[in-house]
Amino acid sequence: MLLSARQEDEWSGTAVRRFTRRAVASRADTAWATRAGDLLSGLTSAGIAVAVCGGAVSSLREQIAARPAAGAAVLPGGLTAGAVAVALAAALVALFARLGPVSATPATAAWWLPLPAGRRGLLRGELRRVALLSAATALAAGVPVVLTLTHTLAGVLTGLAAGALLAVLGVGVLAVRQAAGGTRWVPGLAGAGTVLAVAGPAAAGCVVAAFGHELRTTGPGSWAPWLRLGVLVVLLVGAGLALLAADRRLGRLPAGALRASGEAVQYATASALSLDTRELGRALRTTVRRPRRRSAWRWVHGPGPAVVAGDLAVLTRSPARWGQLVVGGALPVLAAHTRGLAELPALVAVAVVLGWLVAATALGEPSRRAAASPAADRALPLAGAVVVRARAVVPLAVLVVVCGASALLVGQGAGSPVGWAALGVAAAPAWAGAAVRGGYRPDLDWSGPVLASPMGAVPVGVAATLVRGPDVGLLGSAPVAVGLLLGEVPLSLIGVQLGWALALGAFAVATAQRRD
Amino acid sequence: MDTDLLSAVDLPVGYGGVPVCAPVTLSVAAGSAVALVGPNGAGKSTVLQTMVGLLAPLDGVVQHDGRPVDERDAAFRRAVSGVLDDDAFFPSLTGEEHLLLTARAHGVVDAEAVVAAELAAFGLTERAAALPSALSSGQRRRLALAGALVRPARLLVLDEPERRLDTAMRRALADRLAALVEGGVAVLFASHDPAFIGTLADRVLVVGEDECPVVDPADAVAALQEG
Repeated sequence: MLLSARQEDEWSGTAVRRFTRRAVASRADTAWATRAGDLLSGLTSAGIAVAVCGGAVSSLREQIAARPAAGAAVLPGGLTAGAVAVALAAALVALFARLGPVSATPATAAWWLPLPAGRRGLLRGELRRVALLSAATALAAGVPVVLTLTHTLAGVLTGLAAGALLAVLGVGVLAVRQAAGGTRWVPGLAGAGTVLAVAGPAAAGCVVAAFGHELRTTGPGSWAPWLRLGVLVVLLVGAGLALLAADRRLGRLPAGALRASGEAVQYATASALSLDTRELGRALRTTVRRPRRRSAWRWVHGPGPAVVAGDLAVLTRSPARWGQLVVGGALPVLAAHTRGLAELPALVAVAVVLGWLVAATALGEPSRRAAASPAADRALPLAGAVVVRARAVVPLAVLVVVCGASALLVGQGAGSPVGWAALGVAAAPAWAGAAVRGGYRPDLDWSGPVLASPMGAVPVGVAATLVRGPDVGLLGSAPVAVGLLLGEVPLSLIGVQLGWALALGAFAVATAQRRD
Repeated sequence: MDTDLLSAVDLPVGYGGVPVCAPVTLSVAAGSAVALVGPNGAGKSTVLQTMVGLLAPLDGVVQHDGRPVDERDAAFRRAVSGVLDDDAFFPSLTGEEHLLLTARAHGVVDAEAVVAAELAAFGLTERAAALPSALSSGQRRRLALAGALVRPARLLVLDEPERRLDTAMRRALADRLAALVEGGVAVLFASHDPAFIGTLADRVLVVGEDECPVVDPADAVAALQEG
């Protein structure tokens, strides 16, 4: 059959999208009433979450107000909340840069992009979707931060609206960059921003506390109404212009890059929906730096040192991991120097656990890779258990420094600095074990029973797998929490911490690999 | 007529600055068919993706009708049709709708009749209303190939078109492509099938690590049959 086509009859991108949307809608098994119900249910859940969050923050405020001021708490809560907001924004920017932000699913890449229709019309819907998603994510992540920054209704609304508009602005700018040649450098820059946002105020807090001063700032809640409105108008205009500029450049996006981003989106979405955080990490992994020169490994003699050398190579070639270590070490310091957090030792203890978990997760990367490719471990002339033990060497060595330095600064102005540093060093074996245990954890087990909870059904097998690693670190940090509650570090506590962490670390390494 | 539709000279191809094979010199004229052969991982798919602008070459340019290839250009997309992406379909669109979308978006005259003929040619008439998930692997492959042929094109680029097709369908496809070449269409394809190459190819480019020579199809077929 001889084919002929008329250029004037070709479909526009909008027509292609409409055809596809109608075909999909004709087979959708959800009525509009169901969708409206889902929307209402989602909005209700969001409202409850905001109310719960607001209640928790308000209750904390009252508890903190009733406590005497901590000596080293020299940073205003607004500054720390701002730092967390910057870190969250940087994480969001890195995420959207990694995923495009504009992308094409494999089906879209195969069936839409080869059509003569303008790419701008084909991708406009995707740009809108990503912009809305970024605004929703910013709203969700911004609620606790904004509630910490301000407690007036006008301040909260201004903060949330500003966060959502900033997210849309970010997506617009990223899409413009994507069309201009790519955003590969953005995750690295955003990572550096996160490190600066967390470590900068933490370092400033240490210095200011050392000189016996304190910092004060004002939050958006205390801004004049015209200033708040002005900020929102500027952000609204900026976001609109950025989206317009991005829309005009959609036609320049290359099919290969769109498809690669689409595959990353699919991989990440599937991992997130199946709660597989390890796979999610792989899906969002940024590029590994190529070494400037070949390693000669002259100091490597035998399989044990070879494992250590390999682990070191993995970490030194992943700059993001070093940033994670700095953030992990700085997070507890930031909490311990912030007014409104430092007064409650339990909150500082939470920050200690979170920070050291971030550091241990970074150091678990070699174990995660080994678990993903078990053939590499099996190729070594060593028993499996010995390989796993060797894999704990690098995390232990690095965590001794990170936990020691972090604890030293957390305890600034509260008793012997040597005692605090020793307490941190003594906790390192537990977190090194956590890094290895978390890295080698088995695949998620969805076959286990389901437990009813106020938050919905919890698959026990999945939850048990997800906490492998963090569980040991959390338990191993109990003596540190005791030290924070006491406000000093008795010598006996260091001994207890060391013995407890060594026992937990040994347990974690010994049970890291499941024996089937 | 011997106008090169697609051409490249000493083109290095690969990923992240690392070449996957020796530089490629290749030209595809209207009414000719060029086959790429080589073992798995030799770089055939990378060469094809680079030739149609889905991958940037490590250096130099690919020319289409005397201009650098730009897959974003509507004229290029009107001229070039291909099957490079395997098994990618909209899960909620039937096979027929996939073809109708392609035909209508290209402004094909009497699109519904063309789609019906294409479904019949690939033995998919009975499965026209099935969703991709309900099709077998071979049927999905046939649907993808039908998508490349349901619209007019001056150049067809196909990555192992014989993959997952039964013997009769392979032969029918090779004959159909040969007829298109007779009619002035150019075909650039990668293949491991000696019979397919023997039926269709005018020239064969052997993709290798050290060099990528162009050889006579008979020699390439003999080499493939010897294994």
